[in-house]
Amino acid sequence: MRPVVRRPTRLRLPRPRPRWFGIAFILTWSLIPLYWTLNVSLQTDAQVGTRPAHYLPPAPTLRNYQALLTGPGDVPGQIRRSAVNIVVECGAATVVTVVLATLAAYAFARMRFRGRGVLFYGVLGTMALPAYATLIPLYRLMSMLGLVNTYTGIVLVYASGFLPLATWILHNYMASLPLAIEEAAMVDGASRLQVLWRIVLPLAVPGIISTTIITFLSAWGQFLFPLVLSSDISSQPLTVVITALQGRHEVPYALLSAAGILAITVPAAIAVSLNRYIVSGLLAGSVK
Amino acid sequence: MFILGLAIVPAVYTLAQSFFRVQELDPPTRFNGLDNFRALLTNPNVQGSALNTVAYVVIGVTLSTVLGIVMALTLQHRFRGRPVLIAAMILPWALPGVVEGIVWSGIWDANTGLFNSALTSFHLIDHYQVFLGGNRFLTILLIEIVQVWQLTPLSALLVLAALQNIPGDLYEAAQLDGCSAWRTLTRVTLPLVRPGIAVAMVQSLIATLNVFDQPYVLNGAAETGASVTMQTYFISFQNLDFGQGYALSLLITVVTLLASFVVVKVVYRQVEF
Repeated sequence: MRPVVRRPTRLRLPRPRPRWFGIAFILTWSLIPLYWTLNVSLQTDAQVGTRPAHYLPPAPTLRNYQALLTGPGDVPGQIRRSAVNIVVECGAATVVTVVLATLAAYAFARMRFRGRGVLFYGVLGTMALPAYATLIPLYRLMSMLGLVNTYTGIVLVYASGFLPLATWILHNYMASLPLAIEEAAMVDGASRLQVLWRIVLPLAVPGIISTTIITFLSAWGQFLFPLVLSSDISSQPLTVVITALQGRHEVPYALLSAAGILAITVPAAIAVSLNRYIVSGLLAGSVK
Repeated sequence: MFILGLAIVPAVYTLAQSFFRVQELDPPTRFNGLDNFRALLTNPNVQGSALNTVAYVVIGVTLSTVLGIVMALTLQHRFRGRPVLIAAMILPWALPGVVEGIVWSGIWDANTGLFNSALTSFHLIDHYQVFLGGNRFLTILLIEIVQVWQLTPLSALLVLAALQNIPGDLYEAAQLDGCSAWRTLTRVTLPLVRPGIAVAMVQSLIATLNVFDQPYVLNGAAETGASVTMQTYFISFQNLDFGQGYALSLLITVVTLLASFVVVKVVYRQVEF
């Protein structure tokens, strides 16, 4: 007689329930440091100095933000100029990177040409190198070309640094799109360019959004490269200027906190509102 | 024309990259033979920072992996508010490292910091302490916590992605065999997410071996927390000794590649369901 293997009809699986400890941990760990900076930025210097500290701003004031955004003087001027710089540099670097990565990813995913494999792995191979290993040669190249202290120099360096990952994410995305539609379009007489523009791009929009966000956030977070590539305020991004202020002891911590909050507003807003695209993009980029 | 353009863009890019690699071996390094390396290895600042970096790597990889697994397990099943929690979790990943340094300097600060204030409020310490720059190990631990704050979200996502590939029947089977929750975790869940853990460990390994922003902001050039990447910066751009800078970057690159390879060999196992 064969043993009868049968599933019990009433199997009690552990009900998937939220784990309160983990949830409390994630919220505390991620948000308390940011809350604290916000809290300090809404206080006066005297309030910041009390012991124990105020866990809530006793009389919330926007004077630190006002001082930075509209006030006169050296420090606010530098903050405002470097805020413009970081937006221009990250915006331009993102556009350049995403456009080139889209073209390259399409070529690698769909076209056959000599040396394709070598090129593709050459581009990807650069991702394995720590970024800082290229710092010195890049600096010397940029100073040879006279591009130190220019937007162009920083945008070129960012684009070269972020292209491999962007290409990789988009390549994976495009390779997963169904080939049949493109073939049908080709049969109907569409050119490569038309196929890319009319069919592949609209389908690849989610992948392009992910790549755009990840590239922009990476550019916004840069510090050492712009520190080396820009020695004056003409091209220094906000990250470099804030760090320089932090080293100067006459800049009060409440003001510095307000500057910090200003510097994280843009990436925080992007991360919170578009996190779905970040998650899918990061996972597509990390499966090596 | 267009195909040509498509082929040329990455080609030029790759060429440019290989040009940089060639530059790493250009005259200052080559004609000195091994002098640069000898000078580096006998430089007490470099030795000290190498030791610091080892501590950063050990603390950082361990903490971010463990915390990443905890976060991923928390998010494994769907529940109300899970998307909000994921948004909160990702936040530290998206912020600039130096600004995170400034955010956390408000916590570790000796005069106004939250940590001092909270410990005093709970009567754990009598008066405010200096945490950064005093005790070397404590300094490194507190700085690395800041970097772990930035690295853990990606680790958690990588482990979470692997978790969601585990078929539900395996849990049913474990349940039928009478496995406790802990045994299910250590015998079923963790072995099956090894590939995800390996990738998470490699990303935090590369980041911690090259840590720069957090110690630079929180502790300046002080020997108690300087990392090897910071030495590269000081040697190249303050002492203007590019030859030694190249040599040190080359060493860091080699160590990074070797260490990544070892992690993948040890942790990565192809799993089939």
